[in-house]
Amino acid sequence: MPDPLIALIVAGLLAGITALLFWPERGLVIRWRRSRQMNERVLAEDALKQIHKSEMRGQVATLDGVAGALQISRDHTAELLARAEENGLVSNEAGVLHLTPEGRNAALHIIRAHRLWERYLADQTGFGEAQWHGQAEILEHSLPPEEVDALAAKLGYPTHDPHGDPIPDASGQYVAHGGQPLTAIALDQPAQIVHIEDEPETIYAQLVALGLYPGMTVRLVEASSKRVRFWANGDEHVLAPILATNISVVPLPETATVVVESDSETLADLKLGERGKVSAISPRCRGAERRRFMDLGILPGTVISAEMVSAGGDPTAYRIREALIALRSEQASMIQITRRLEPAA
Amino acid sequence: MTTTSIPMNAPPQTRHGSESETSPEEVLALARTLRWEIGGDFHQTLMETIYTDAARIADRAVTRPGEKPRFDLDRTIDGLVTSRRWGIPIMILMFTAVFWITITGANIPSQMLSNLLIGTIYPALQQAAAAIGMPWWLSGFLIDGMYLATAWVVSVMLPPMAIFFPLFTLLEDFGYLPRVAFNLDNIYKKSGAHGKQSLSMMMGFGCNAAGIVSTRIIDSPRERLIAILTNNFALCNGRWPTQILLATIFIGALAPVYMAGLISALAVVGIAMLGIVISFLVSGMLSRSLLKGEVSTFSLELPPFRPPRVLQTIYTSFIDRTLYVLWRAVVFAAPAGAVIWLVSNITINGTSAAQYIINVLDPIGLLFGLNGVILLAYVVAIPANEIVIPTILMLTVMTLGATNLGAGAGVMFETESNAATKAILTAGGWTVLTAISVMLFSLLHNPCSTTIYTIYKETGSKKWATVSTLLPLAMGFAVTFVVAQVWRLVFGAG
Repeated sequence: MPDPLIALIVAGLLAGITALLFWPERGLVIRWRRSRQMNERVLAEDALKQIHKSEMRGQVATLDGVAGALQISRDHTAELLARAEENGLVSNEAGVLHLTPEGRNAALHIIRAHRLWERYLADQTGFGEAQWHGQAEILEHSLPPEEVDALAAKLGYPTHDPHGDPIPDASGQYVAHGGQPLTAIALDQPAQIVHIEDEPETIYAQLVALGLYPGMTVRLVEASSKRVRFWANGDEHVLAPILATNISVVPLPETATVVVESDSETLADLKLGERGKVSAISPRCRGAERRRFMDLGILPGTVISAEMVSAGGDPTAYRIREALIALRSEQASMIQITRRLEPAA
Repeated sequence: MTTTSIPMNAPPQTRHGSESETSPEEVLALARTLRWEIGGDFHQTLMETIYTDAARIADRAVTRPGEKPRFDLDRTIDGLVTSRRWGIPIMILMFTAVFWITITGANIPSQMLSNLLIGTIYPALQQAAAAIGMPWWLSGFLIDGMYLATAWVVSVMLPPMAIFFPLFTLLEDFGYLPRVAFNLDNIYKKSGAHGKQSLSMMMGFGCNAAGIVSTRIIDSPRERLIAILTNNFALCNGRWPTQILLATIFIGALAPVYMAGLISALAVVGIAMLGIVISFLVSGMLSRSLLKGEVSTFSLELPPFRPPRVLQTIYTSFIDRTLYVLWRAVVFAAPAGAVIWLVSNITINGTSAAQYIINVLDPIGLLFGLNGVILLAYVVAIPANEIVIPTILMLTVMTLGATNLGAGAGVMFETESNAATKAILTAGGWTVLTAISVMLFSLLHNPCSTTIYTIYKETGSKKWATVSTLLPLAMGFAVTFVVAQVWRLVFGAG
């Protein structure tokens, strides 16, 4: 029988090495496999996408810019771009990169695939907001054009990705959201969020954490170089201008109502025995979860009362169309209600 | 590319009409522009409107005669069973009662079945085989191997299941179980699971295969998979006897006599609790790694309380659960019995195949505080945990070469008394560490083949069946290894 101490140390080392190799997302084997997936084709496609992005923003695309965005060496980038030029995808005019029409088509195909995958991840899987972009960055390279079309068909030809970006159709056409940065609209002007930029990730994560999403109506209260203050769905938010510029909005007519404080309550605000009428299901709730709500009869106009709270404190049972249904607090907070039970008219 | 599906070669008569009419290309172009103007929420808004309209029409057209029935009684019961003060104690009381009735109620029929199947029919079969001059190897294979294993599984498994499942189904029918899920959901939510997993786990204490079938009540895909993959950590009916036996003869014996019963009971409950804790840990781990992308939609309906339909419930739970599980167990136990008999009776150079395998496995087993006999027993007893102890006893006696003990090569047996069992195991080299290691390994090892097959059937995926098999096995080896090494460090070689 081996000495127990030595056995423990050997086993500990083995476990450590296995973890080092196979730890999800950070293990060496996993990293090595990912780097192999980043082959030349993928890099070339990412380079086209990067140039397209620069052109869209009205910036000048350069070799250094592409190398920086792809995080590869200058020489490697030069090699990639030379090949793309040979294939007639990119033209290089005195160090400034331009996409040829073919190059633009190829870039749009990747963007289309990326946004369709984001739509798919948002609607048909359980991945959270923060993971859509990263996953789509890998998935976008996985399908040939016919299969991307099949994906579009499966999703019902969506027009926008979950961040509000338009998805180019099969012929590469799309209409931009036409929004302006939140900081650019007039004070007190009702507006609707049409897009939330998903890069850089840290900023996006902060915006998501605040519960902001495309489709929300907002009203700007204060915009200075230090802070931006606005109402959105009954909550007041204060953001640094750098964050606020990542939110694009379109102005709404003056008559549009922006919900402020009191009359924007959710089911989660109901106390036991109180009743409320559903006014909307939050756009943040999508896919299977939204369908489940509708199947349960949670629809605009349904009157719901809070009946009892679990011994554990969290799920609350609501009486919905005479059935007793338990919902968790984060679900209940997706259902917007009003306490005015009589029809307004 | 895909949008131009207009019939370009359509016969001219379909396009008659004035020239001023717009061409199909223009219509399509217009449609494309409009698509962008409609916006992304179009499908969703449409669907919501249809639902809302349907609801409005229904509300207008459906009349509900008279006043709504009063829910007073329902509300009172609900208020009591979900209250912060009484909810959990009532639950513990209810389940303790169910387990107590099952354990005490199953003893007598189990003994009767065992007397009938093993005490009476088994010798009768042997005599009959001898009378018709059946060769020893055929009667050994069929009667000592297949029949005995099947009889064993049936007599151990049937009575507790025939009591536990109907009781459980009665609680379900009454409407109490959804309230349990409601009360416990907050705890399960923290590990990414559904409150109803508490129910499938309870069911798993009866039988893991039945527990896995019962996860059908969880309608959210991710939470259901979690419940399926962790059900094995609920100590099943086939493993309780092993735990109780080993705790009694090895751990209880360490304590003074008047404390022995309490200590061994605590050891068994401790193992079961460990299983529950591990099921939470693994649930949390799975929901954050492997199952991150699965769809999750929580909802839990709390049906009104209603008087249970006793006879119907007993009948259906017997047919659906008890017989179903029993049949599958029998299907897997009979071949296992055959294998056990074969490995013990096929000899090479005068040594049985079992002996060879045990010799190879022995050093590996020692590393984990087990031994070769135990490992072989766990391999051949994959079909049913019930036959692990009888197989260990048979193999131990065989390796000891003690001809005055046991019932012969490949014939499983149990001793008349715990003292005799302990004598055999101690002679086979068992220590307290071995007993603890087997108790841990019995909790943490692959599910029985019935359960694995059920997981495959329920998930329709070989991947999940494999994960559910290998994950607990790996955990079992890791835990027993660390325990064995630490034990030896502290208490010296043992």
